[in-house]
Amino acid sequence: MRNRFFTWILFLSGGVLLIFTLLAAYRELTPEWEKYQAQYKEQIIKAAKDDAAKKKARQLKQEVQQLYLGALNRIDRCTSCHIGVENPRMASAKLPLKQHSGAYLKNHPPDKFGCSVCHYGQGRAVNKKEAHGLGHETHWDFPVMPLKYIQSSCTQCHDYETLTAKGYDTIAKGAKLFTEKGCRGCHKLDGIGGALGKKLDIVGSQPIAYFPMRHVEGEKTTYNWHKQHFTNPRALVPESEMKISVKPEETDLLATYVLSLRSGEMPKAYRKIKGRMAVGKPDEGEALYKMFCIACHTDGKESYYDEIFNHTIPSIKNPAFLKAAEDKYLKKVLEEGRAGTQMTSWKLAAGGLGESEINKLITYITKERPSSKPERFNVARFKPDEKRGGELYKVRCALCHGKKGEGELGVNLRNPVVQGADPEFLAITIRDGRAETPMPPFGKKGLSLTEQDLADLVSFVRTLSKTK
Amino acid sequence: MSEHKQIGLKAFKHNLKSALKSFAGSYLRGGKPTSDRTRSSAIFNNFFLHIQGVKTHINTLRPGYTLGLGLLSFFLLLATTISGVLLMVYYNPSIENAYNSVKDINYVVFAGKLIRNVHKWAGEGMIILVLLHMARVFYTSSYKQGRQFNWVIGLALLVITFGINLSGYMLPWDQLSYWALVIVANIIQSPKEITDSLGLTGFFDLGGFSKELFLGGLTAGKESLTRVYLLHIMLFPILMFIFLGVHFWRIRKDGGLTKPEVFEPKAMDAALTTPPEKKGGLFPLNKTYGLMELAKGKTPAVDRDVENTVLSWPNLLWAEAALFVFCLAGVIVYSYFIDAPLKELANPLIPENPAKAPWYFLGLQELLSYSAFMGGVGLPGLALLGLALIPYLDREEQHVGLWFSNRQGKLIALESIAVSAAVIIGLLAFVINFGWFRSWWPNVPQLLITLINPGNIWVGFMILWSMFVIKRTGSTRMGAIALFTMFLVSYLIYTYVGTELRGPNWDFFWSRSAWPVH
Amino acid sequence: MSNGAHEKTEITRRDFLGLAAIGGAIISSLSVLTGVFRMFKPNVRYEESTKFKLGKAEDYPSGTIRKLDEKGLFIFSKEDGLYAISAICTHLGCIVNQTEWGFQCPCHGSRYNETGKVIAGPAPRNLDWHEISLALDGTLEVDTAKKVPVGTKFKPA
Repeated sequence: MRNRFFTWILFLSGGVLLIFTLLAAYRELTPEWEKYQAQYKEQIIKAAKDDAAKKKARQLKQEVQQLYLGALNRIDRCTSCHIGVENPRMASAKLPLKQHSGAYLKNHPPDKFGCSVCHYGQGRAVNKKEAHGLGHETHWDFPVMPLKYIQSSCTQCHDYETLTAKGYDTIAKGAKLFTEKGCRGCHKLDGIGGALGKKLDIVGSQPIAYFPMRHVEGEKTTYNWHKQHFTNPRALVPESEMKISVKPEETDLLATYVLSLRSGEMPKAYRKIKGRMAVGKPDEGEALYKMFCIACHTDGKESYYDEIFNHTIPSIKNPAFLKAAEDKYLKKVLEEGRAGTQMTSWKLAAGGLGESEINKLITYITKERPSSKPERFNVARFKPDEKRGGELYKVRCALCHGKKGEGELGVNLRNPVVQGADPEFLAITIRDGRAETPMPPFGKKGLSLTEQDLADLVSFVRTLSKTK
Repeated sequence: MSEHKQIGLKAFKHNLKSALKSFAGSYLRGGKPTSDRTRSSAIFNNFFLHIQGVKTHINTLRPGYTLGLGLLSFFLLLATTISGVLLMVYYNPSIENAYNSVKDINYVVFAGKLIRNVHKWAGEGMIILVLLHMARVFYTSSYKQGRQFNWVIGLALLVITFGINLSGYMLPWDQLSYWALVIVANIIQSPKEITDSLGLTGFFDLGGFSKELFLGGLTAGKESLTRVYLLHIMLFPILMFIFLGVHFWRIRKDGGLTKPEVFEPKAMDAALTTPPEKKGGLFPLNKTYGLMELAKGKTPAVDRDVENTVLSWPNLLWAEAALFVFCLAGVIVYSYFIDAPLKELANPLIPENPAKAPWYFLGLQELLSYSAFMGGVGLPGLALLGLALIPYLDREEQHVGLWFSNRQGKLIALESIAVSAAVIIGLLAFVINFGWFRSWWPNVPQLLITLINPGNIWVGFMILWSMFVIKRTGSTRMGAIALFTMFLVSYLIYTYVGTELRGPNWDFFWSRSAWPVH
Repeated sequence: MSNGAHEKTEITRRDFLGLAAIGGAIISSLSVLTGVFRMFKPNVRYEESTKFKLGKAEDYPSGTIRKLDEKGLFIFSKEDGLYAISAICTHLGCIVNQTEWGFQCPCHGSRYNETGKVIAGPAPRNLDWHEISLALDGTLEVDTAKKVPVGTKFKPA
């Protein structure tokens, strides 16, 4: 036969084409969910109580099951495999046919809520791998959430009070930890908080690419990231300065809370916020201290040098400090922060604390202020010699406060708050020292510098911000 | 009187009974192609087929000559177009719905995943095949003997192919789409690099204007998607089919495909062709045109027609049918196993790192990393200009229809491969290890970098070396072979580097496994 | 010449293969077309499901009449059971209103009696009755894609 060459090609290719078209058709007609639905059908036919039920069971069509949730702008096809999720007869069946646990579906009927609004996962998918969304190749940022964090979804509609009253207190516990471990000392939420860490407003909705995943152990999901970050921040973010001290079981609570901070709002018809959404009394001084200060200043009684901050964290409830420091000064420090250190500026435009909150904090901090006022120094009576003060500084102060006052073991003296402080305050501090901190008294109670010496030192210290 | 009625009714009954047959006959007026005459008219009188000649030269049918590359490209275009129209039933071109509609095509549309895969792979396969087709046309000197303009049309088709692939890439609105859109928009803006250096931007911001025209705004968003969609389904396809029509028409007018001056049919050709019969047909024809051929040549000729041709019906059509099924089979097999990619939903706040163009542009992206204007506009423009000039700068008419022209051509090609590989790899090694101007002199003016960078150096070298070959061999054809071969080698090497050896931040890595995980 | 058909009684291999090839091409084209039309038919709809829950049987004590505008449905509860009548006029799709004697369509004047039978106007068919059943969780469910004979009432156990 002529035309052999092209005939061969035609028939061989035709054969291959036919085979693969048939294979493709076969693959199209035997989707993954079909076998689960077939199992389900078998089981409910067997379990049918009477003939009418049997007949109805036999008529069950096998097709993609879809929950169209217009108000939520979602489509969930989970029930294509999880076909028995609403059927009480499937209570003891195996997954995926098993009935949903608990009585949640009574108040959260699937045709109004779907599944992914609580459980995450990729609702539109119709095969297990992509529906569950685990694994880099699924390119899905919110895989099915581990059940221990599930309460992070509840607060989309419910308040902490109601949830705790019904026994679902994980999320409230997590929120409480958040407010009492000083997290907002560095992280802003609703615009209020420190500036050292990232804003947390929608951290529960951030995609995987937002987080550095390189050192995450196990699955690279945001859930694991949060849990491991709470366990040890520097394991995931080597340059992090985050200070956290919580017990291992508390990291799960915190992770649940943080995962509940999501973008977007549920439609009004779904929201059932009746009680309080806040935990504790955030308007009291002590609560404010726990919310914003405690992570760095702990109980405030001792100052200590922090390796990660590379700064000394001063003791702010130290009686000696409080004795010398006037409320005006404390307010200044709180409002302006200490430039060059991790102490944030907390005024309304920066950290977001209003006047009354700052006053409450000051009231709280100064609660144990000794009633006796320190002896006045009256620095004004002296004519200070800056040069001499500089010499004294080199010998006495530089070791702890740094050659240029930048601070190391001792606090940074260059920042505007110290520089702008009342010279009287500075003189008293140097004279009397700071009890329970490494700062010794330099006056007659201690190293016996003369009062002229002290005045000279004060005048020198106040020039530190001008030197480069 | 009743006789008339009888005759009339009888005629009516007869006509009704034979309605189907006479309908078939009115449609297929040529009769069965069982004689040479009817075979000729099958081609000649058919609206679709008559762009092909009634007779085809045996050389055209030889698989080793053309490798069927042009036809394969065309068939891939058909596959892409049809699968594209099917996808349009479900794809929604709004930024809220695009991604979800593509996901649903994959998940719940019958054969959706397969059709999407076919669309993607046939579309990308087209790029490979048109480049190979261009190479075949070049190496067989088929841009000569009056075919110069068709070569230029082919270049236009090449650009349209790239454009249609790129615009399609942007439609799913995933991370790849979005950042490709941003990058392309900024490439379009790159003339600003030049107008800034020359202080002209204030008068006419060509770059900014073009970018706004493309994006429908200043940032990539819903207007951009609408425009890209328009380009992809309407403007580029219309241009493609118009130019293709001209391209095919020119083939006929230029006398079919090229063939060697001295041609003898060989034994193997028997396997490719059915000899003409040269006898009368059995069925009468309806004649619209009478004369079928006037031919020059010596007769009788065994197993072939005049001037070494055979009838297009069935030979050419059989070859085309075989190639068509082969093409479809390849596309279906590939689409069965490998899924078209789809990444996360577009996120304007989180750029991909590395933000890579599709593979066919990664060679350019390497050049882009040296200079946006040169890599995006200057050098590609220069390359296209160079390619377009080839038929006009090399007008030697010898060795047409022979791969690589002759032995010297083969040697020049090999030499060019070696030289270009060495120079390119050398340049790359230098840049990767030592950086370029800005790494050494941080304040160097941008204009200097735009003018002197590894991409420009390479192109400059290509041109100079080709001139050197022309001088050395005394032949513009040899110089053209050198230039074109170096162009192919550089496209290959730069594409490889861009695909496999560039990782996050466009840093160099020996392999993908060395990329740092984010 | 015109009697060529009577000369051969057997078909040549060439003709057979030619016919087979054409036949094969036709069959493949038809199957491709079938596939294409099957592809056009949507497997899922981007709409609310036709099957939806009505709530608990206790919420529909005997004597209740409820109109669900967004679903185009009337739910009646009588002594002998519950039934659902479509509120969508069979003429051109407007929502009908209930009257003492039955239903009235405001668009073109079609009238139906209490069981949905057309008594006046251009409506070509009676109003559909839809199936009410018990959902898996024990609440009432109606399926507007399933028509039931007039008079079918659902008696909750």
